[in-house]
Amino acid sequence: MIAVLALLAGVVLGVWLDPTVPAALQPYLPIAVVAALDAVFGGVRAKLDRIFDDKQFVVSFISNVLVAALIVYLGDQLGVGGQLSTGVVVVLGVRIFGNVAAIRRHLFRA
Amino acid sequence: MSAERGDGGRPARVYAPDFLTELFRNPLEPGYVAAAERKRRNPPPAWRTRSARSVSLVVLVLLGFLLAVAYRQTMEEEPGRSQARSGLVEQIKERERQTDELSARADQLREEVGRQRDAALSGSTAARLRDLEAGTGMGRVRGDGLVVRLADAPGDADAVTGTGAGPPQVLYTDLQGVANALWSAGAEAVAINGQRLTATSTIRSAGKAILVDFRPVTGPYEVAAIGPGSMKRRFEQSRIAALMREVADKTGLSFGVREADDLTLPAAPEPRLRYAEPPGSPSPSPSGDRSASPGPSGSGTSPSPSGGGR
Repeated sequence: MIAVLALLAGVVLGVWLDPTVPAALQPYLPIAVVAALDAVFGGVRAKLDRIFDDKQFVVSFISNVLVAALIVYLGDQLGVGGQLSTGVVVVLGVRIFGNVAAIRRHLFRA
Repeated sequence: MSAERGDGGRPARVYAPDFLTELFRNPLEPGYVAAAERKRRNPPPAWRTRSARSVSLVVLVLLGFLLAVAYRQTMEEEPGRSQARSGLVEQIKERERQTDELSARADQLREEVGRQRDAALSGSTAARLRDLEAGTGMGRVRGDGLVVRLADAPGDADAVTGTGAGPPQVLYTDLQGVANALWSAGAEAVAINGQRLTATSTIRSAGKAILVDFRPVTGPYEVAAIGPGSMKRRFEQSRIAALMREVADKTGLSFGVREADDLTLPAAPEPRLRYAEPPGSPSPSPSGDRSASPGPSGSGTSPSPSGGGR
Protein backbone atom coordinates (compact mmCIF):
# COMPACT_ATOMS: atom_id res chain seq x y z
CA MET A 1 0.00 0.00 0.00
CA ILE A 2 2.73 2.40 1.01
CA ALA A 3 4.65 1.27 -2.05
CA VAL A 4 1.76 2.21 -4.34
CA LEU A 5 1.48 5.57 -2.61
CA ALA A 6 5.18 6.14 -3.10
CA LEU A 7 4.84 5.29 -6.76
CA LEU A 8 1.95 7.73 -7.14
CA ALA A 9 3.93 10.39 -5.28
CA GLY A 10 6.72 9.91 -7.80
CA VAL A 11 4.33 10.27 -10.72
CA VAL A 12 2.86 13.44 -9.23
CA LEU A 13 6.33 14.77 -8.61
CA GLY A 14 7.32 14.08 -12.20
CA VAL A 15 4.24 15.79 -13.57
CA TRP A 16 4.55 18.69 -11.20
CA LEU A 17 8.25 19.38 -11.62
CA ASP A 18 8.13 18.69 -15.34
CA PRO A 19 11.89 18.37 -15.76
CA THR A 20 13.47 18.56 -19.16
CA VAL A 21 15.57 15.56 -20.01
CA PRO A 22 19.02 16.47 -21.31
CA ALA A 23 19.38 15.59 -24.96
CA ALA A 24 22.30 13.27 -24.21
CA LEU A 25 20.14 11.12 -21.92
CA GLN A 26 17.06 10.97 -24.10
CA PRO A 27 17.90 7.76 -25.98
CA TYR A 28 18.36 5.92 -22.67
CA LEU A 29 15.11 6.96 -21.08
CA PRO A 30 12.79 4.36 -22.70
CA ILE A 31 15.27 1.56 -22.05
CA ALA A 32 15.69 2.70 -18.45
CA VAL A 33 11.93 2.64 -18.01
CA VAL A 34 11.68 -0.90 -19.33
CA ALA A 35 14.54 -2.03 -17.10
CA ALA A 36 12.87 -0.39 -14.10
CA LEU A 37 9.62 -2.13 -14.93
CA ASP A 38 11.48 -5.43 -14.96
CA ALA A 39 12.81 -4.76 -11.47
CA VAL A 40 9.34 -3.76 -10.27
CA PHE A 41 7.63 -6.87 -11.58
CA GLY A 42 10.39 -8.97 -10.09
CA GLY A 43 9.75 -7.24 -6.78
CA VAL A 44 5.99 -7.74 -6.97
CA ARG A 45 6.47 -11.38 -7.68
CA ALA A 46 8.89 -11.76 -4.80
CA LYS A 47 6.38 -10.02 -2.58
CA LEU A 48 3.73 -12.52 -3.55
CA ASP A 49 6.23 -15.31 -3.02
CA ARG A 50 6.79 -13.76 0.44
CA ILE A 51 10.49 -13.47 -0.14
CA PHE A 52 10.60 -9.77 -0.95
CA ASP A 53 13.77 -8.11 0.17
CA ASP A 54 14.26 -4.35 0.12
CA LYS A 55 17.98 -4.42 -0.48
CA GLN A 56 17.62 -6.89 -3.30
CA PHE A 57 14.91 -4.73 -4.88
CA VAL A 58 16.93 -1.51 -4.68
CA VAL A 59 20.06 -3.14 -6.01
CA SER A 60 18.25 -4.87 -8.87
CA PHE A 61 16.44 -1.69 -9.79
CA ILE A 62 19.54 0.46 -9.95
CA SER A 63 21.72 -2.14 -11.61
CA ASN A 64 19.03 -2.95 -14.17
CA VAL A 65 18.66 0.69 -15.17
CA LEU A 66 22.38 1.29 -15.28
CA VAL A 67 23.24 -1.88 -17.17
CA ALA A 68 20.48 -1.32 -19.71
CA ALA A 69 21.66 2.24 -20.28
CA LEU A 70 25.25 1.06 -20.49
CA ILE A 71 24.42 -1.57 -23.09
CA VAL A 72 22.60 0.97 -25.21
CA TYR A 73 25.47 3.39 -24.83
CA LEU A 74 27.98 0.74 -25.84
CA GLY A 75 25.81 -0.18 -28.79
CA ASP A 76 25.69 3.45 -29.86
CA GLN A 77 29.45 3.66 -29.72
CA LEU A 78 29.83 0.45 -31.70
CA GLY A 79 27.24 1.46 -34.27
CA VAL A 80 24.70 -1.20 -33.32
CA GLY A 81 22.68 0.92 -30.93
CA GLY A 82 19.31 0.13 -32.45
CA GLN A 83 19.88 -3.62 -32.56
CA LEU A 84 21.29 -3.77 -29.06
CA SER A 85 18.42 -1.81 -27.60
CA THR A 86 16.06 -4.19 -29.38
CA GLY A 87 17.92 -7.05 -27.76
CA VAL A 88 17.68 -5.43 -24.34
CA VAL A 89 13.98 -4.81 -24.77
CA VAL A 90 13.41 -8.39 -25.88
CA VAL A 91 15.26 -9.86 -22.89
CA LEU A 92 13.59 -7.55 -20.40
CA GLY A 93 10.23 -8.13 -22.06
CA VAL A 94 10.64 -11.87 -21.68
CA ARG A 95 11.52 -11.45 -18.02
CA ILE A 96 8.60 -9.16 -17.41
CA PHE A 97 6.34 -11.61 -19.15
CA GLY A 98 7.58 -14.48 -17.03
CA ASN A 99 7.20 -12.52 -13.82
CA VAL A 100 3.72 -11.36 -14.74
CA ALA A 101 2.80 -14.96 -15.51
CA ALA A 102 4.01 -15.97 -12.04
CA ILE A 103 2.07 -13.10 -10.47
CA ARG A 104 -1.00 -14.17 -12.37
CA ARG A 105 -0.60 -17.69 -11.07
CA HIS A 106 -0.40 -16.32 -7.57
CA LEU A 107 -3.45 -14.13 -7.90
CA PHE A 108 -5.80 -16.33 -9.85
CA ARG A 109 -4.35 -19.76 -9.16
CA ALA A 110 -4.42 -20.34 -12.87
CA MET B 1 7.37 -22.38 -10.34
CA SER B 2 5.86 -21.58 -7.00
CA ALA B 3 5.02 -25.23 -6.59
CA GLU B 4 8.65 -26.14 -7.04
CA ARG B 5 9.59 -23.70 -4.37
CA GLY B 6 6.72 -24.65 -2.10
CA ASP B 7 8.47 -27.62 -0.57
CA GLY B 8 11.14 -25.34 0.81
CA GLY B 9 14.02 -26.53 -1.31
CA ARG B 10 15.60 -24.59 -4.14
CA PRO B 11 14.19 -25.34 -7.53
CA ALA B 12 16.00 -28.14 -9.20
CA ARG B 13 18.70 -26.69 -11.39
CA VAL B 14 18.14 -27.52 -14.99
CA TYR B 15 21.08 -27.18 -17.29
CA ALA B 16 19.14 -25.97 -20.26
CA PRO B 17 21.19 -26.00 -23.39
CA ASP B 18 19.75 -22.79 -24.70
CA PHE B 19 19.63 -19.45 -23.06
CA LEU B 20 16.13 -18.48 -24.04
CA THR B 21 14.51 -21.51 -22.47
CA GLU B 22 16.34 -20.73 -19.26
CA LEU B 23 15.21 -17.14 -19.51
CA PHE B 24 11.59 -18.15 -19.86
CA ARG B 25 11.77 -20.73 -17.13
CA ASN B 26 13.39 -18.69 -14.46
CA PRO B 27 12.70 -14.99 -14.71
CA LEU B 28 12.89 -14.40 -10.94
CA GLU B 29 16.03 -12.85 -9.60
CA PRO B 30 17.78 -15.67 -7.79
CA GLY B 31 18.90 -12.98 -5.38
CA TYR B 32 15.48 -12.87 -3.75
CA VAL B 33 15.65 -16.53 -2.88
CA ALA B 34 19.16 -16.15 -1.56
CA ALA B 35 18.21 -13.13 0.49
CA ALA B 36 15.22 -14.93 1.98
CA GLU B 37 17.47 -17.80 2.88
CA ARG B 38 19.93 -15.50 4.54
CA LYS B 39 17.19 -13.69 6.42
CA ARG B 40 15.78 -16.91 7.73
CA ARG B 41 19.13 -18.04 9.01
CA ASN B 42 20.01 -14.85 10.87
CA PRO B 43 17.37 -12.12 10.92
CA PRO B 44 18.85 -8.64 10.41
CA PRO B 45 18.49 -5.94 13.09
CA ALA B 46 15.32 -3.86 13.03
CA TRP B 47 17.00 -0.56 12.14
CA ARG B 48 18.50 -2.15 9.09
CA THR B 49 15.16 -3.46 7.90
CA ARG B 50 13.62 -0.06 8.39
CA SER B 51 16.34 1.85 6.53
CA ALA B 52 16.25 -0.65 3.68
CA ARG B 53 12.50 -0.21 3.53
CA SER B 54 12.78 3.56 3.31
CA VAL B 55 15.42 3.27 0.60
CA SER B 56 13.14 1.05 -1.45
CA LEU B 57 10.34 3.57 -1.00
CA VAL B 58 12.66 6.25 -2.33
CA VAL B 59 13.39 3.99 -5.27
CA LEU B 60 9.69 3.62 -5.89
CA VAL B 61 9.25 7.37 -5.86
CA LEU B 62 12.11 7.54 -8.30
CA LEU B 63 10.42 4.97 -10.49
CA GLY B 64 7.17 6.92 -10.57
CA PHE B 65 9.16 10.01 -11.42
CA LEU B 66 10.90 8.14 -14.22
CA LEU B 67 7.62 6.88 -15.62
CA ALA B 68 6.07 10.33 -15.60
CA VAL B 69 9.12 11.92 -17.19
CA ALA B 70 9.37 9.26 -19.87
CA TYR B 71 5.69 9.58 -20.66
CA ARG B 72 5.85 13.33 -20.94
CA GLN B 73 9.00 13.11 -23.00
CA THR B 74 7.39 10.76 -25.49
CA MET B 75 4.29 12.91 -25.69
CA GLU B 76 6.33 16.03 -26.24
CA GLU B 77 8.43 14.55 -28.99
CA GLU B 78 5.42 13.70 -31.08
CA PRO B 79 4.07 17.20 -31.73
CA GLY B 80 7.66 18.31 -32.25
CA ARG B 81 7.99 15.90 -35.11
CA SER B 82 4.73 16.85 -36.77
CA GLN B 83 5.50 20.49 -36.14
CA ALA B 84 8.77 20.18 -37.97
CA ARG B 85 6.97 18.52 -40.83
CA SER B 86 4.26 21.14 -41.10
CA GLY B 87 6.93 23.81 -40.84
CA LEU B 88 8.69 22.33 -43.83
CA VAL B 89 5.45 22.13 -45.77
CA GLU B 90 4.83 25.75 -44.92
CA GLN B 91 8.27 26.72 -46.17
CA ILE B 92 7.76 24.85 -49.41
CA LYS B 93 4.45 26.58 -50.00
CA GLU B 94 5.98 29.93 -49.22
CA ARG B 95 8.86 29.37 -51.62
CA GLU B 96 6.51 28.21 -54.35
CA ARG B 97 4.47 31.34 -53.90
CA GLN B 98 7.61 33.45 -54.12
CA THR B 99 8.66 31.63 -57.26
CA ASP B 100 5.30 32.23 -58.86
CA GLU B 101 5.43 35.88 -57.92
CA LEU B 102 8.93 36.30 -59.27
CA SER B 103 8.18 34.50 -62.50
CA ALA B 104 5.07 36.62 -62.98
CA ARG B 105 7.24 39.67 -62.47
CA ALA B 106 9.80 38.29 -64.91
CA ASP B 107 7.08 37.83 -67.50
CA GLN B 108 5.91 41.35 -66.93
CA LEU B 109 9.40 42.73 -67.31
CA ARG B 110 9.97 40.65 -70.39
CA GLU B 111 6.85 42.08 -71.96
CA GLU B 112 8.06 45.52 -71.05
CA VAL B 113 11.40 44.82 -72.68
CA GLY B 114 9.63 43.55 -75.76
CA ARG B 115 7.55 46.69 -75.97
CA GLN B 116 10.56 48.94 -75.60
CA ARG B 117 12.40 46.97 -78.21
CA ASP B 118 9.52 47.18 -80.64
CA ALA B 119 9.45 50.90 -80.10
CA ALA B 120 13.18 51.16 -80.73
CA LEU B 121 13.33 48.91 -83.76
CA SER B 122 12.00 49.59 -87.18
CA GLY B 123 8.79 47.85 -88.16
CA SER B 124 10.12 45.07 -90.34
CA THR B 125 12.89 44.09 -87.95
CA ALA B 126 10.48 44.03 -85.08
CA ALA B 127 8.11 41.86 -87.07
CA ARG B 128 10.92 39.48 -87.95
CA LEU B 129 11.96 39.29 -84.33
CA ARG B 130 8.40 38.61 -83.26
CA ASP B 131 8.21 35.81 -85.78
CA LEU B 132 11.41 34.32 -84.46
CA GLU B 133 10.17 34.63 -80.91
CA ALA B 134 6.92 32.96 -81.77
CA GLY B 135 8.80 30.12 -83.44
CA THR B 136 11.23 29.58 -80.61
CA GLY B 137 8.66 29.86 -77.88
CA MET B 138 9.98 33.10 -76.47
CA GLY B 139 6.84 35.02 -77.25
CA ARG B 140 3.15 34.61 -76.57
CA VAL B 141 1.22 33.34 -79.58
CA ARG B 142 -2.41 33.12 -80.56
CA GLY B 143 -4.06 31.03 -83.16
CA ASP B 144 -6.18 28.04 -84.02
CA GLY B 145 -5.05 24.54 -83.37
CA LEU B 146 -5.55 21.36 -81.44
CA VAL B 147 -5.96 20.39 -77.82
CA VAL B 148 -4.99 16.86 -76.88
CA ARG B 149 -6.35 15.87 -73.53
CA LEU B 150 -4.93 13.01 -71.48
CA ALA B 151 -6.13 12.01 -68.04
CA ASP B 152 -5.41 9.24 -65.57
CA ALA B 153 -7.97 6.52 -65.25
CA PRO B 154 -10.44 7.19 -62.45
CA GLY B 155 -8.98 5.72 -59.29
CA ASP B 156 -10.88 3.12 -57.36
CA ALA B 157 -8.09 0.80 -56.28
CA ASP B 158 -6.25 3.75 -54.82
CA ALA B 159 -8.43 4.07 -51.75
CA VAL B 160 -7.99 0.44 -50.79
CA THR B 161 -4.35 -0.22 -51.39
CA GLY B 162 -3.08 3.22 -50.53
CA THR B 163 -0.12 3.85 -52.74
CA GLY B 164 -0.16 0.41 -54.31
CA ALA B 165 -0.48 -0.21 -57.98
CA GLY B 166 -3.20 2.38 -58.32
CA PRO B 167 -5.12 3.19 -61.43
CA PRO B 168 -3.38 3.40 -64.80
CA GLN B 169 -1.70 6.72 -65.13
CA VAL B 170 -0.46 8.90 -67.92
CA LEU B 171 3.29 8.51 -68.20
CA TYR B 172 5.77 11.17 -69.10
CA THR B 173 6.61 9.22 -72.22
CA ASP B 174 2.99 9.62 -73.35
CA LEU B 175 3.31 13.38 -73.06
CA GLN B 176 6.64 13.27 -74.86
CA GLY B 177 5.14 11.20 -77.66
CA VAL B 178 2.14 13.47 -78.03
CA ALA B 179 4.30 16.58 -78.07
CA ASN B 180 6.66 15.11 -80.63
CA ALA B 181 3.79 13.93 -82.80
CA LEU B 182 2.29 17.39 -82.69
CA TRP B 183 5.59 18.94 -83.73
CA SER B 184 5.92 16.51 -86.59
CA ALA B 185 2.31 17.15 -87.59
CA GLY B 186 3.29 20.72 -88.24
CA ALA B 187 2.63 22.47 -84.95
CA GLU B 188 4.20 25.88 -84.62
CA ALA B 189 3.80 26.18 -80.89
CA VAL B 190 3.06 23.58 -78.22
CA ALA B 191 2.23 23.97 -74.56
CA ILE B 192 1.47 21.41 -71.86
CA ASN B 193 -0.94 22.66 -69.21
CA GLY B 194 -0.01 26.19 -70.11
CA GLN B 195 3.73 25.55 -70.13
CA ARG B 196 5.19 26.44 -73.45
CA LEU B 197 7.66 24.03 -74.96
CA THR B 198 10.81 25.22 -76.62
CA ALA B 199 13.61 23.45 -78.38
CA THR B 200 15.32 22.79 -75.06
CA SER B 201 12.27 21.81 -73.02
CA THR B 202 12.31 18.63 -71.04
CA ILE B 203 9.46 16.31 -70.16
CA ARG B 204 10.48 13.85 -67.54
CA SER B 205 9.28 12.14 -64.45
CA ALA B 206 10.45 12.52 -60.89
CA GLY B 207 8.86 9.91 -58.71
CA LYS B 208 5.17 10.08 -59.42
CA ALA B 209 5.18 13.61 -60.76
CA ILE B 210 5.72 14.69 -64.32
CA LEU B 211 7.98 17.67 -64.76
CA VAL B 212 7.87 19.94 -67.75
CA ASP B 213 10.91 22.16 -67.72
CA PHE B 214 11.40 21.20 -64.08
CA ARG B 215 7.98 22.43 -63.06
CA PRO B 216 5.48 19.83 -61.99
CA VAL B 217 2.30 19.42 -64.00
CA THR B 218 -0.67 17.41 -62.80
CA GLY B 219 -3.43 15.63 -64.63
CA PRO B 220 -5.59 16.04 -66.56
CA TYR B 221 -2.94 17.04 -69.06
CA GLU B 222 -3.83 19.31 -71.92
CA VAL B 223 -1.35 19.54 -74.73
CA ALA B 224 -2.30 22.53 -76.81
CA ALA B 225 -0.75 23.14 -80.18
CA ILE B 226 -1.15 25.92 -82.73
CA GLY B 227 -0.63 24.95 -86.29
CA PRO B 228 -2.11 24.58 -89.75
CA GLY B 229 -5.51 23.03 -90.41
CA SER B 230 -4.01 19.78 -91.62
CA MET B 231 -2.45 19.21 -88.23
CA LYS B 232 -5.38 17.30 -86.78
CA ARG B 233 -5.48 14.84 -89.63
CA ARG B 234 -1.75 14.29 -89.52
CA PHE B 235 -1.73 13.91 -85.76
CA GLU B 236 -4.54 11.38 -85.89
CA GLN B 237 -2.51 9.34 -88.33
CA SER B 238 0.51 9.32 -86.08
CA ARG B 239 1.59 6.24 -84.24
CA ILE B 240 1.27 7.76 -80.80
CA ALA B 241 -2.35 8.71 -81.40
CA ALA B 242 -3.21 5.14 -82.38
CA LEU B 243 -1.24 3.83 -79.43
CA MET B 244 -2.91 6.15 -76.97
CA ARG B 245 -6.35 5.26 -78.29
CA GLU B 246 -5.60 1.62 -77.76
CA VAL B 247 -4.21 2.26 -74.27
CA ALA B 248 -7.28 4.33 -73.46
CA ASP B 249 -9.55 1.54 -74.62
CA LYS B 250 -7.76 -1.06 -72.56
CA THR B 251 -7.00 0.76 -69.33
CA GLY B 252 -9.57 3.47 -68.95
CA LEU B 253 -7.22 6.39 -69.45
CA SER B 254 -8.95 9.18 -71.23
CA PHE B 255 -7.49 10.49 -74.44
CA GLY B 256 -9.18 13.05 -76.62
CA VAL B 257 -8.29 15.31 -79.51
CA ARG B 258 -10.32 18.35 -80.36
CA GLU B 259 -9.85 21.34 -82.56
CA ALA B 260 -9.79 24.63 -80.76
CA ASP B 261 -10.05 28.14 -82.11
CA ASP B 262 -8.19 31.12 -80.85
CA LEU B 263 -5.81 29.40 -78.48
CA THR B 264 -3.38 31.56 -76.58
CA LEU B 265 -0.11 29.96 -75.62
CA PRO B 266 2.07 31.80 -73.13
CA ALA B 267 5.75 32.48 -73.61
CA ALA B 268 8.21 30.00 -72.23
CA PRO B 269 10.33 31.15 -69.32
CA GLU B 270 13.45 32.98 -70.32
CA PRO B 271 16.07 30.45 -71.34
CA ARG B 272 19.28 30.36 -69.45
CA LEU B 273 22.07 31.89 -71.44
CA ARG B 274 24.33 29.02 -72.36
CA TYR B 275 26.70 30.48 -74.86
CA ALA B 276 27.79 34.01 -75.55
CA GLU B 277 30.79 35.86 -76.83
CA PRO B 278 31.66 39.36 -75.86
CA PRO B 279 31.48 41.77 -78.77
CA GLY B 280 34.83 42.29 -80.49
CA SER B 281 35.52 45.81 -79.38
CA PRO B 282 33.93 47.99 -76.79
CA SER B 283 33.89 50.91 -79.22
CA PRO B 284 30.43 52.42 -79.57
CA SER B 285 28.34 50.82 -82.24
CA PRO B 286 27.34 53.19 -85.00
CA SER B 287 23.73 53.54 -84.21
CA GLY B 288 21.06 52.30 -81.89
CA ASP B 289 19.42 50.04 -84.39
CA ARG B 290 21.42 47.00 -83.41
CA SER B 291 19.88 44.73 -80.91
CA ALA B 292 22.29 44.10 -78.11
CA SER B 293 21.63 40.43 -77.71
CA PRO B 294 24.45 38.23 -78.89
CA GLY B 295 22.38 35.60 -80.56
CA PRO B 296 23.64 32.15 -81.36
CA SER B 297 24.18 33.28 -84.91
CA GLY B 298 27.12 35.16 -83.46
CA SER B 299 27.08 38.87 -83.97
CA GLY B 300 30.22 38.90 -81.90
CA THR B 301 33.11 39.22 -84.29
CA SER B 302 31.61 40.79 -87.33
CA PRO B 303 30.06 44.08 -86.48
CA SER B 304 26.73 44.23 -88.20
CA PRO B 305 25.54 41.80 -90.82
CA SER B 306 22.91 39.67 -89.20
CA GLY B 307 21.42 41.94 -86.61
CA GLY B 308 21.77 45.26 -88.39
CA GLY B 309 18.90 47.23 -89.81
CA ARG B 310 18.00 46.20 -93.27
